[in-house]
Amino acid sequence: MTIKDKSLTAWQVGIMLFIILFSNKILVLPSLLYEGAKLEAYFVPIILFVLEFGLIYLFYRMKRAFPTQSFAEILQKYFGKVVMKVILFLIMLFFIFKAILLYNVTYLFFKTLIYQDSSNILFLFCFIPVITHLGIMGLRVMGRTMQIFFPLIVGVTVFCIVIGLLGIKDLPLLFQSSIGDIALTSIKHIAGFGDSLLLFLIIDKITIKRGQWKVIFSLSGISMFLVISITAVFLFTYTYTSFLHPFALFEIMCYVKEYGGVGRIDMISMLLIVILTYFQLAIYLKMFMLSFLEVFGKINEIISAISFNLFFILAISYVVLNLGKAILYGENFLPYFAILPFVVVPVLCFIALVLLKREKKK
Amino acid sequence: MDIKKQEQKFKDKLHNSIDVASRTISKNGVEVCFVYLKSITDNLVFSQSIFEPISNFEGELTFDVVKQIVKSNDVSDAKEQQVVEKILKGGVAVFLSNSEQYLIIDIQKYNTRAPSEPPTSPVIMGPREGFTEDLKTNMTLIRRHFYGEELVFEEMLIGEMTKTQVVIAYLDGVASKDIVKEIKKKLKKVKIDGVVDSYYLISLLSNRPNSILKQVGNSEKPDIVASKMLEGRIALIVDNSPIVLTIPFMFLEDLQSSNDYYTNYVYASLLRIVRLIGLFFAVVGPGAYIALQLFHHNILPIKYLITIADSTQQIPFTPFVEILFINLLFQILYEVSLRLPSYLGLATSVVGALILGDTGVKAGLISPPSVIVVAIAKIALYTVPEQASQITILQLVFMILGASLGILGLLGGIIYVIAYANSVENFGTPYLAPFSPFILSDNKDALLKVPLQDMTTRPKSFENNDEERINDD
Repeated sequence: MTIKDKSLTAWQVGIMLFIILFSNKILVLPSLLYEGAKLEAYFVPIILFVLEFGLIYLFYRMKRAFPTQSFAEILQKYFGKVVMKVILFLIMLFFIFKAILLYNVTYLFFKTLIYQDSSNILFLFCFIPVITHLGIMGLRVMGRTMQIFFPLIVGVTVFCIVIGLLGIKDLPLLFQSSIGDIALTSIKHIAGFGDSLLLFLIIDKITIKRGQWKVIFSLSGISMFLVISITAVFLFTYTYTSFLHPFALFEIMCYVKEYGGVGRIDMISMLLIVILTYFQLAIYLKMFMLSFLEVFGKINEIISAISFNLFFILAISYVVLNLGKAILYGENFLPYFAILPFVVVPVLCFIALVLLKREKKK
Repeated sequence: MDIKKQEQKFKDKLHNSIDVASRTISKNGVEVCFVYLKSITDNLVFSQSIFEPISNFEGELTFDVVKQIVKSNDVSDAKEQQVVEKILKGGVAVFLSNSEQYLIIDIQKYNTRAPSEPPTSPVIMGPREGFTEDLKTNMTLIRRHFYGEELVFEEMLIGEMTKTQVVIAYLDGVASKDIVKEIKKKLKKVKIDGVVDSYYLISLLSNRPNSILKQVGNSEKPDIVASKMLEGRIALIVDNSPIVLTIPFMFLEDLQSSNDYYTNYVYASLLRIVRLIGLFFAVVGPGAYIALQLFHHNILPIKYLITIADSTQQIPFTPFVEILFINLLFQILYEVSLRLPSYLGLATSVVGALILGDTGVKAGLISPPSVIVVAIAKIALYTVPEQASQITILQLVFMILGASLGILGLLGGIIYVIAYANSVENFGTPYLAPFSPFILSDNKDALLKVPLQDMTTRPKSFENNDEERINDD
């Protein structure tokens, strides 16, 4: 048995989930949410995380009902091969589109701040080999690598939040926006969520011992709490000028730039963003690879990684390369894809669970 | 048996080498022949314990009588095809004209050095003896740590020409039988002309022989090997090598030092953290300095930026070339200092530190910050001396990454290297355990160290048979 074949532990899955729930929501999202829901924008992640938690709970039910079967096998058994392929094809697109959006946002963040003269090629040179390596090495290696960085990620995030709290001068007046605004903003940005769909793709590659489910639920809960905290701290720090500061985590650190004589502690948040982007892109690539292999048959893993990279590079180079376009793309195009994690997959899983129950009764 | 013919046959097999000695005596019509190698046998023992008793014997000499009268406790029978092999290992072959049998008496002797403190792992407190090149001495040094019956030594011969003795040492009931079996299987498969040192076996025992990562542990100190065996590891002692190999190996082992176990546990934990920081700086430091100078000078606090800009503005080279040049200079000095006689060491230091360093800075060829960064990185490299070769390679890789891709490339490189290390497993043991996969109980003696009485179990990072180390009952 090679390292690739071995399954993930509850901790590794929890950390993977922690990272994917957290990393694409701490940079541009808080500022964007302000535009729609003003200072109550932190309600948006609360609402959307409730949905996300529902998805994780559904996964828990599915894993208990189908402990050894893959998602593709479950879909094929109850809905047929065509439905399975269509769903996995859509999931494949969902993850690659999210990867493109994440890459653009990170690229523009770095281009604005520290790589003013550098090209997109340099960024691709950085990301592509690392994420491809992680993807090909397999989930186990990916999980273990994230495990090493996990204490650092949590530590730095908590540090950023604490530093951010020091920057809050007054608590602003609340309830300036209506429930309708919050709901509309939630729908507009729903595509930023639904990442826990990854759990369904790796359902057969996880070994969760009795009593270890709480690890997964706790880590996802902590991740959600941190996102909400960062959003709230950012909004309370910049209040009515929040829309002028596009990079939330970095901006809350900038506010106290020379804190304690250390100097430029905002760099810490920047490094955190880089690490998180690497991991999140690697997860997206791996999810793409897993669905690709199911859709196009059992072909070589390397071909699936190359396919991701080709599509990714082409999309990055020709479709979206500025923040405005990226945001428009995220707001106008991706919400339709959110139907997949929040409607289609849950409905299918629900049907599968009901059918399984009937089978058992018979 | 035709003694003359047989004697000549063995001599021919040994190519009439100049150290082949043979002697035939005749007693009461019975001829007795002795064949041995002068270079690896004890001449005094031969004459007093073998030759004299036989030549002075007055009765009828038979094979069984000879066996009885020689004064040695290492006497054995051998078949004709085994005789040459036994002679080559320091045995004296004795055969008689009235018998078809061969007697081998082991009187092997050669000069060995006494156990002394190994230069690679000196300690402030704790045992100072180190392994030598002699297999028997090394076995004794290990045996002295285990007077219990659990210690097992198993011998294998490796090398078509060298027939080197390799001893597999482990504690029965503690070490995993499966790993012992796997090691034997791997060693049996080895088809090599010779094993000159234990390092020859490292790549043969590694799952990924081409990897730059170290996959087999090594030590020159019996106390370290004994403590590793107590944890369930298996030791490989190779004749003619003072380095004993230990399997399975994890990166963590190099982060630990024998000093840690003979000092306060809090201080030991602190030292381990310092070693990790040192290792990290050694790998990434020069690359990060280049990246900051080339790409990200705007993220440096303004005061530091002014200082660095002040000292680098006259330098004709790019930061990468400058750092590479200083590194190369250091590596040349290091190589020279290793090979030069010790009395020339002072001259090398003067040339290196004063002439090349100081004058280079004054001439404006290299800047003081670059010298400081490289110096710190090179010193930091030796906080974990066992990993020095790997770190040097990675240092260069990270310098290239820093110069070409900046911080983004450096962080990508770090993730890549850690992911790669995570993919390495030797004898079922993850390279980065107990950090990833995270094993809580093993972290009692990992980056942090708890008092000895709290380390109640053996490591779970690798397979072993007996979990319990300290019984509270």
